[in-house]
Amino acid sequence: MGVRSALATLAAGAPTPAFVLAGAGGRWAAEQLWLEPRIAPALSPRAADALVVVGYLTEALLPAVILAHDQIPPPRLAFQWLPDGAPDDPLAGMVPGVRVVEGGSLVEVVRDAHAGLLAGRGDGHGDAWPDVEPAPWRGIGPYGQGGKGMTGGVPYGRPLTGRADDRDGLKLDRLDVRVGPVFPAFPPGLELIVGLQGDVAQEVAVGENPFEGGPASGGVFALALRKAVPIAELEVARARSHLRWLAGALRVAGLPSLGRRVLALAARAGPGDLDRVARLRRSLERGRGLAWLAGGVGSAREDVGGPVGRAAGHASDARAGLAEYRALGFEPLVHEGGDALARWRQRVAEAEQSLRLAGAAGDATVGPLDVVEGPRGPLGPAPLLELLPGLVAGMEWGDLVTTVVSLDLDLEEAAARAGVPA
Amino acid sequence: MSALAGVLATAAAMAIGVYLVAAMDAAASRGLGIGGAVALPLRRGLALFVRPRARTEHPDAEAWALAPAALAGLAAVGLATIPLAPGLSVADVSAGIVLFGAAMALVMVAAFLQGWAPNSIHPMIAGYRFVAQALSYEMPLALVLIGAALPAESLSVGAIVESQAHLWNAIRQPLGMPLFLVAVAGLAFWGPLALPEGEDLAGGTSAEISGAARLAWRVARLMVLVAGAAMTAAVFLGGWHGPWLPGPAWSILKTVAVLGLLVWARHRFVRVPIERFVWVSWVVLIPLALLDVFLAGAQALWAAP
Repeated sequence: MGVRSALATLAAGAPTPAFVLAGAGGRWAAEQLWLEPRIAPALSPRAADALVVVGYLTEALLPAVILAHDQIPPPRLAFQWLPDGAPDDPLAGMVPGVRVVEGGSLVEVVRDAHAGLLAGRGDGHGDAWPDVEPAPWRGIGPYGQGGKGMTGGVPYGRPLTGRADDRDGLKLDRLDVRVGPVFPAFPPGLELIVGLQGDVAQEVAVGENPFEGGPASGGVFALALRKAVPIAELEVARARSHLRWLAGALRVAGLPSLGRRVLALAARAGPGDLDRVARLRRSLERGRGLAWLAGGVGSAREDVGGPVGRAAGHASDARAGLAEYRALGFEPLVHEGGDALARWRQRVAEAEQSLRLAGAAGDATVGPLDVVEGPRGPLGPAPLLELLPGLVAGMEWGDLVTTVVSLDLDLEEAAARAGVPA
Repeated sequence: MSALAGVLATAAAMAIGVYLVAAMDAAASRGLGIGGAVALPLRRGLALFVRPRARTEHPDAEAWALAPAALAGLAAVGLATIPLAPGLSVADVSAGIVLFGAAMALVMVAAFLQGWAPNSIHPMIAGYRFVAQALSYEMPLALVLIGAALPAESLSVGAIVESQAHLWNAIRQPLGMPLFLVAVAGLAFWGPLALPEGEDLAGGTSAEISGAARLAWRVARLMVLVAGAAMTAAVFLGGWHGPWLPGPAWSILKTVAVLGLLVWARHRFVRVPIERFVWVSWVVLIPLALLDVFLAGAQALWAAP
């Protein structure tokens, strides 16, 4: 064995840095990869050796995914994991080297290919799109920049900074950028069109929901619209959803190792984990760091329902009107303030409450219901995406991300909800 | 010590220190045993080394190549000022803490270049962030070093260690070490102050680098952390002073303990938002650092014959 292959073998023992993207139906399976010690999810395509797409891609997601693919330094690997019974997916046709994996062998397939890539065995492939300028050089203006004077214009199709008033009344450069729909700190599919001045987002608009028109997702909450389901099942699903959110929020807040532990808890949480979740809630309530991060950030006082509304003191919860829940002593939890910190605390407290309800409910069932309280509020049109631009305009970028994360957006669910009558 | 021996000694100390932090961090973040934690940085380093470097559109190529080299060089200069034992140092110059402070002030330039060079939005914001962060931690950093120099009546790091023969500065000046540790975390953008590397910026200054360039940047950041921890051990924890063991062993043990504390903090505290950090720095940390200097000055006057 030569030195080079010995080194490649040693290198292949490192976790595979992968840029993991969630398509339709793949969000939670993608999250689970954070628990896999042989995969290291990367924060940017440059930091990755492989693209891993989990779930189905819509036409609207495809350009962003191909761009991310082409940003991984070549030779690179690409994989798509599809649940069984997959319809044809457009990615394979667009990216020549993508390997479609079904069932449970994704990690093994990725690891084998990665070892081959590091050993230089030609497993990788090149770009999907030609590496050319997206628009021609326009050659207008004194520097050929395409605009007037020193600024403005769109050379090579890229807008140069213009000048605009900032929040302190100064005229500063303003850059319009699109962030998403595959930005790792954002929920899958969220794209923001941001007017940036330095690190301040002066103006924010939400891009198209790429999951629009996709298949409606199932889940126990949607099932409760049609038939009777066990309360314990609903509440365990709610607790798990809140804990999964918490795991992601901790990761974005700079605590990936704690986030990993919470994610492992979320995957199996049941009434027996009540004590663990209660300890988690207490430690988050005591911790000053979280108050620094999220206190006073992104205050939403409107009654938008769900945990976001209840974190602003509105006790609106569809469960409060149900005799089955009143029999269990259910009362809506509320927090005051309506800021990102209140939303963190609201969800963790609700996760604990849900596990307690699940433990007390026994075999009791509920439904079919007209209004189902999901983990993000009543199933039906979701007002949070419309709320977002007003909430984050004028924020420093880090606060904007903290606010977006604290809303627990799910664009796939939002797209499906549009079809559910309120 | 000849120049070549000095360079080699600094490089060897840095290499061991950086590897140790990387291994401790691997153990803390992935819950690995000793064997796995010791092997992981080597495996990861090799896996990065064989991968190609990323290209971006119209980068500032010279600045991009310079940034990690500059950061590593500055960290090495900082470490070189710190003696392991009396007379055992690369450059225990008479104005050691001034040289250390000057090198650490230039960290801002290296980090900003890394943000600027790839011509990309997230690294650019990370560069802005680091400037705001650096302007906030640099004053406490310089002030508490001055406070530590007062009882020694010298700016040399060796003399400052010597002045702690009977009482460590960590006890004599209780404000000094916590403030210095905040500054060290800021310098190396580490843990709660890893603002320019945050997930909210897709990795920030690291967002557009891959392969050997990524490895170099990561190593350079850890070098700054090692230099900062070694300075903490020397200036606040009595350096080589200690019973039973030989002096260099104490210097090394104390540095490793400080590194362990910094690794623990990284996995314990959330990342601080930049605007709150700037506010707290100017409203709380800088006044505390001034108080530290005044108290050290009063003690020095009191002790004067």
